[in-house]
Amino acid sequence: MRAVAVNLAGMVESPAIGPTPYRVGVDGHPYVPVGDGGIVLGVGLGDLVSAALGDHVSPGATVGHPDQPARHGLTAYACVGNPVVVRSGASAGATGRVFGKRGEDGRLLVWLPDEALERLRPGDGVAVRAYGQGASLPGLPAGVEVLNLDPWLAPALGITVGPNGVEVGVRAVVPSRLAGNGIGRPAQQWDVDLAFPAGDPVLAALRLGDLLAVADLDVRHNMGFRRGHVTVGLVVHGDSPMPGHGPGLVPLLCGPAALLRPVADQAGHEGLTTATLSEAPASAAPGRAG
Amino acid sequence: MKVESNADRLVTQLLAGEVWPATADRHAYRVDADGTPFVLPGMGGVTLAGHLGEPATGWASDHLEPGLSVRHPDPAANYALQYLSCVGNEVTLVSGASAGGRGTVIGQHAFVLVDAADHVLEGATVGDRVTVRAYGQGLALREHPSVRVKNLDPAVLAAMPGGTRPDGRLEVHVAVDVPADAAGAGGGMASEFANTDLMGAYAGLDDTLSLGLESLRIGDLVVMRDTDHSWGRGYRPGWVTIGTISTGQCALFGHGPGPTTLLSGPAEAFHVVTNADANLSAYVAESRRTRTEVAA
Repeated sequence: MRAVAVNLAGMVESPAIGPTPYRVGVDGHPYVPVGDGGIVLGVGLGDLVSAALGDHVSPGATVGHPDQPARHGLTAYACVGNPVVVRSGASAGATGRVFGKRGEDGRLLVWLPDEALERLRPGDGVAVRAYGQGASLPGLPAGVEVLNLDPWLAPALGITVGPNGVEVGVRAVVPSRLAGNGIGRPAQQWDVDLAFPAGDPVLAALRLGDLLAVADLDVRHNMGFRRGHVTVGLVVHGDSPMPGHGPGLVPLLCGPAALLRPVADQAGHEGLTTATLSEAPASAAPGRAG
Repeated sequence: MKVESNADRLVTQLLAGEVWPATADRHAYRVDADGTPFVLPGMGGVTLAGHLGEPATGWASDHLEPGLSVRHPDPAANYALQYLSCVGNEVTLVSGASAGGRGTVIGQHAFVLVDAADHVLEGATVGDRVTVRAYGQGLALREHPSVRVKNLDPAVLAAMPGGTRPDGRLEVHVAVDVPADAAGAGGGMASEFANTDLMGAYAGLDDTLSLGLESLRIGDLVVMRDTDHSWGRGYRPGWVTIGTISTGQCALFGHGPGPTTLLSGPAEAFHVVTNADANLSAYVAESRRTRTEVAA
């Protein structure tokens, strides 16, 4: 069956804080969350997840929708690699790409060139050409699922489909017990936060845009523990002081360990880069009827 | 539990709530771990299954909430009700056919969960109003400053076995030892809200899903390994959390029977004793007897 593309609308978000500015970190210390949504400058794909002093920091802009069901729809259908066009404001006409999504109410993480990001303002409208849910990769073996991924991006992420399964380079393979916020939630609409303990060597090496594998995690029908299943995803936001929170993983591939084989390279791994997104080919318009 | 605390300094508040309806949407189905759709009762309303001490799993249910599921219609008042209600607090029905009937808070699950005798539950229904004697937040153990106490009525603490040992550690009795792999939905939330679902308790499903937790009972005291619930719930090697199972059977994947947080701290602060009888049912009964004697 052919997958379907949908043009959707979204709005650049403003970060939201409740009546108290404080959140509480794992050791009981209050802090003011900086960089948790909205338009974030000075952070890029390839940065260490622990580099920016903030909470759930991701590069670029977060995009939502004022109507909650439409917001869930936008989050569910948009996929990593989808084209984005700014439709209003001083950056109207600028183009970027979806590189992630986040859960709860749902929001997209959108990369835009720096000059467009500088002129962007919360409330600006964007159009997203959502394509990927329901799509597959050529030759993908039965049992391995792909989700949240615009298929054009698969080769650039080093996803190799062969007769005996899928191989993909990752920064590391981590155990599912790190999975915090996001577990038990639908992977098409949430990222899963990985609560790395302080001083973890993988945390020290992890970068925004990295591919990372989680052992014993099944994300096909909600995210949960299943022995022998592997999930590979993209690291889309930085660390968090909150317990049960941490760098966020958007699942892209899930399957039994025999068919989905992550190859870890903790020192040399390169994941999704700004160059890959900025040099993306103009849409080949997959997902059209005709 | 033989332990010095600040219970004499704690404040009781009378809070209002009402039995909340079970809710659904027009799509009806959710899906389980294997992608099989289900429509099952469990959340909201008055659920006539799973008293303290009874099996948590094995019911045809999703997110089984034993007894009354209580909220307040005003969002801010509801957060106060959810955060301040503690395990062991006394609940009185003040309207409906069971008005005057009493129950006990057994935990939170975005609802305050109230167990009561069958004759009280049978007469209760959605919309019936309740009063909760909220008492326990702020409880601290004088000789165990690294141990955080959450959601625990001091009368239940007093009825629990264990206490301060000669070596300075806090002895706690638990029925079940839970590996960190089991921590499911509820991670990342505040420790005073809802609970942590335990995966690995999907009775009757694939062995790849099992973590050996299918025999949990409602009210069982459990120790969660490598878990810190001091200021929210998360994975933390070398820390442990003690909880009591307040919700039961789940079909939804990544969910399961859930412990409400009671105690959390570094593992070396605890001496954990495994005892199959470590269940809230006995401690609540004992706390009731003590409270009645004090009142007399």
